[in-house]
Amino acid sequence: MPREAEPSQNEKDFILKAVREGHRLDGRALDEFRQLDLKFGDQYGVADVTLGKTRIIAKVTAEVTVPYTDRPFDGIFTITTELSPMASPAFEVNRPTETEVLLSRLLEKTVRRSNALDTESLCLVAGQKCWSIRVDLHVLSHDGNLIDASCLAVVAALRHFRKPDTSMEGDTLTVYTPAEREPVPLSWLHSPFCITFSFFGSISVGEDGEEKDIWLLDTTLLEEQLRVSSCTISMNKHGEICQVAKPGGAPVEAVTVVQCSSLALQKVKDLSDFVDQKLAEDSKHRNKGGLLAELSAENAR
Amino acid sequence: MPLDTSTYNLALLRVDGRRWNELRQQKGQLGVQPSADGSAYLEMGNTKIQCIISGPNERDLSKSTSSASTAPTSNGAGATVAVSIMIAPFATVDRKRRGRNDKRLQEMQTTIASGLAATVQGQSYGPRSTIHISLNVLSQDGSLLACLINAASLALVDAGVPMTDYLVACTAGSTSSYAAADEEADPLLDLNTQEEQELPFLTLATLGATDKVVAMVCESRVQLTRLEGMMATAADGCKGVRDFLDGVVRDKGELMVQEGAIGRGEVVSSMDLD
Repeated sequence: MPREAEPSQNEKDFILKAVREGHRLDGRALDEFRQLDLKFGDQYGVADVTLGKTRIIAKVTAEVTVPYTDRPFDGIFTITTELSPMASPAFEVNRPTETEVLLSRLLEKTVRRSNALDTESLCLVAGQKCWSIRVDLHVLSHDGNLIDASCLAVVAALRHFRKPDTSMEGDTLTVYTPAEREPVPLSWLHSPFCITFSFFGSISVGEDGEEKDIWLLDTTLLEEQLRVSSCTISMNKHGEICQVAKPGGAPVEAVTVVQCSSLALQKVKDLSDFVDQKLAEDSKHRNKGGLLAELSAENAR
Repeated sequence: MPLDTSTYNLALLRVDGRRWNELRQQKGQLGVQPSADGSAYLEMGNTKIQCIISGPNERDLSKSTSSASTAPTSNGAGATVAVSIMIAPFATVDRKRRGRNDKRLQEMQTTIASGLAATVQGQSYGPRSTIHISLNVLSQDGSLLACLINAASLALVDAGVPMTDYLVACTAGSTSSYAAADEEADPLLDLNTQEEQELPFLTLATLGATDKVVAMVCESRVQLTRLEGMMATAADGCKGVRDFLDGVVRDKGELMVQEGAIGRGEVVSSMDLD
């Protein structure tokens, strides 16, 4: 099983010492994100997120299928992650690494279990026909902080996606092509985002030798290899926690975790505004002649 | 089938008659499997776990492809902790088959392995050795992850693996539904299955009786303002669990002295136990 190349002892010492003094290799503040960019494809439901050198593409597809027998009124919603060897030599094809399992579980808990997408709205004919929404996540380049970037890509792609319009007349279900009717957006309830805190041990501050945990936001791959533990908090901008995961690792003071969670809310609001703004820009770009409102078959409610 | 927890506000008693900060009945036993290097049995309410430890022994490369999750101790310089969880088909009311690649189980295994790796002093064994921890879930009734962590801690003590402190875990929930922002909602300690299905909750693992968080898992939607109360309640619960585990270990020691397995004060005098 291939492994990620470990940083040399000199690199380790240098980075850890710098972090303890409040500096990072790329000159960012400890709680600063790298340059974040979000592009949408020509098709609906394709989001391309670049976070520093990390690059992730999410693509949403929809098809009509038969719902699960135990859930006749719900549509199907799946998120599949793929970490290909293209992103990092440590990833292998057809053999999910621990990173991949944890990533897909985190996305599942953040987006699916928190009911961000209303699956009941995907039902077409109870027990017979429903939409199956599938998000494929491809990591093109891995330079740390996969979780935050992936979650952003998934949420942006789902909010950008439009599924074909349908209508029921008697017993016949009609699915319209985009030429016949403008596709409709998914019924989206809230937008959760992940914020990952990476811990690097503690330093003593003040005269009384009080211990203070050091943490970084948006770590690069090199920093990620050196961290002693991490904590991922998923939240929406309304201050609802969707998921918290600190999977073991070195212990951290409980107070620090609480502080981190309130900082996460602030960051989530920033990310939320960023995605809203990019989506607005994109819809303006698509709606050249202002004709989209006329093409839509939706009634104003 | 959702449970009606709205009755809680009337008498401030939960469905099983506990108050908000009470743990369930606990029962622990060390050395239940004489042929193993270390073993323990732990009951927290109706969640029943048996933990068997083999090792530390030399890492078997043929076993590295199995479904166990591993984590290295002392920054890769010490032994590796490998955890595998098996849930018996009769552990829940509905008998169901689980695949080997259940991601939820794998995530739990990883959490337990890297959580224990933070407390186990593995440097005395060297990097090529592995401590195998197999956890068997015999009966499942809420707080599964917490109970698994506690059982593994107890078994590691039986195996004589050096640790800085017990890794103890407990769950805490909140009586408010996730959307409501009502301020008078109580936090609840140590949830059972019924409560877990109904209420938002988190699992907190701390290092002994300190407030140091080793692992924390919350899978439900909950208001940010609820978090602090839930964490404080869970940390209190962890202290209770630590006292209980410590009691089990001390009782076992007392028993061994009575049975003549070790002389009183034989080893104890040379070690500072507290």
